[in-house]
Amino acid sequence: MQLPTGRALRFTSIQVENWRNFGKIEVPLQRRTFIVGPNASGKSNFLDLLRFLHDIVSVGRGFELAVQSRGGVSGLRSLFARRYSDIHISVNIGVDEHPSVWQYELRFNQDNLQRPVIRGEKVVLDGKTLLDRPNESDNSDPEQLTQTYLQQVNVNKDYREIAEFFYAVRYLHIVPQLVREPDRSVGRKDDPYGGDFLEQIARTPEKTQTSRLKRIEDALRVAVPQLEALELQRDPVKGTPHLRGKYQHWRPQGAWQTEEQFSDGTLRLLGLLWATLDGTGPLLLEEPELSLHPEVIRYIPQMFARIQRRSGRQIIATTHSTELLREGVGMNEVVLLEPSQEGTSARTAGELAEVRELLEGGINIADIVMPRTRPVQAEQLSFFADE
Amino acid sequence: MLTAAVEGLADEALLKRVCSSVGVVVGQVYGRYGKSYILTKLNGYNHSAQFRHWVVLLDLDNDAACAPEVLPQWLPVPSRLMRLRVAVRELEAWLLADRERIAQFLGVAVAAIPADPDSVADPKRLMVQIARASRRRAIREDMVPSIGSGQQVGPAYTSRMIEFIQSVENGWRPDVAAGHSDSLRRCISAISNLAEQEFDPR
Repeated sequence: MQLPTGRALRFTSIQVENWRNFGKIEVPLQRRTFIVGPNASGKSNFLDLLRFLHDIVSVGRGFELAVQSRGGVSGLRSLFARRYSDIHISVNIGVDEHPSVWQYELRFNQDNLQRPVIRGEKVVLDGKTLLDRPNESDNSDPEQLTQTYLQQVNVNKDYREIAEFFYAVRYLHIVPQLVREPDRSVGRKDDPYGGDFLEQIARTPEKTQTSRLKRIEDALRVAVPQLEALELQRDPVKGTPHLRGKYQHWRPQGAWQTEEQFSDGTLRLLGLLWATLDGTGPLLLEEPELSLHPEVIRYIPQMFARIQRRSGRQIIATTHSTELLREGVGMNEVVLLEPSQEGTSARTAGELAEVRELLEGGINIADIVMPRTRPVQAEQLSFFADE
Repeated sequence: MLTAAVEGLADEALLKRVCSSVGVVVGQVYGRYGKSYILTKLNGYNHSAQFRHWVVLLDLDNDAACAPEVLPQWLPVPSRLMRLRVAVRELEAWLLADRERIAQFLGVAVAAIPADPDSVADPKRLMVQIARASRRRAIREDMVPSIGSGQQVGPAYTSRMIEFIQSVENGWRPDVAAGHSDSLRRCISAISNLAEQEFDPR
């Protein structure tokens, strides 16, 4: 079969058992996906699943560290799981016309020393199984089950495309204060919270850097009309990079400010715009609406759609924002997390008949979905002051 | 300067374009949460229109056969400076009325655009249908909804409509469109006429 080329691969569906607060879920993922749900329903845990796949393909102790940094198997395993159940993750990777080019499946647990061990690993390319563990080699040397084949360059040749796809997954949750005070996260590389955000910009080849900053400057001006120019400068003494913005001012020359004086909203939007231009793998965003004006938020999904049409890049974002869903977001692009006694369930909004009926009736998807994520007794919070 | 309320983001862009074409400045714009939102606020807007120039732009949709039928229901006693204007049946009809430019923008033949857009029953649906036949992949992907989305329009439809309305060189021309849409022509003249009304500052 001729495999599709030219369009970026994306996660087309994910199936999980016993991961954190999820009992068992199976959900399709579109190129643009919004994860909604009440507080603590597992939106970030959902994104963390995909970050986990990124972490396991790091060469060396990728899998082991990915599990240990998340509190080991006992920290990861769902409270709803039976005591010794395996954690199971399975993803389909493909394109619109061919949603299952690749399938990757990983099943793991821990041994008596609480070390993570692989119980099963499977790679399927277009229906053909390329790897199915445990295999004979694992049986003769069980120590091999502490590593995935995906993370080993010498054995993953036939399916390196998946390893590279996982590695390209990028997570972003800019914390403005960390951008302003990079000292707090010294030594971190590709910090998703923005600790080395300015360094990341500075590392980009100058030509690319200049053209991206120009585009960002134009886009930022929509939210911050008084911004006139944006540039990166190095501190002549310490060598640390700084972003400078020129603002309209009563002085004819305008006034230059560095990132230390940028507002939270400016920094977050800047980070978001940079991330959409930087890289091609799936982009995971934590509440992109934070600190932004509702009228700015409404245009973000439209911006995503136009970026994706050009690059094919998948964008998966968690959100609490009605505004983010208001303009042309499809019911298949919204994943609804609903906590219950048996763990959180995950369904696309389109799977619910009630949602389809209301949408047909002309109700905006934002006004259908967000009320479903409201905590049952939100009003109780107002009684907090009195015992 | 006039104050306005509109149904959505593209309506706002359209109103501003219309006003700038007749030299009227638009101040604050309210609404943008659909038609029913505006209808519930109409009395408040009307109150304000005793003191300043107001335009409220609404789609007729399929609420009535024609605008005169429904206007007295929506707003029985309009204030002196209130202009409640109705697009027949949606703003897309007015955009289609600049046939050459919309054909060029969508990447289709001019013949694909109807000659009398005011008579189209569902202009938004027609806009999407025409975009579906576009020569340009970008237009199709932005404007046509994907299977299973449950939406009438594609993921960047609004953004595309705004782009068309705002583009000075290749975009929508209100004066040309008014030649093919009677409801738009009357809307434009109502706005110019309103601008001439005396302003009565409190």
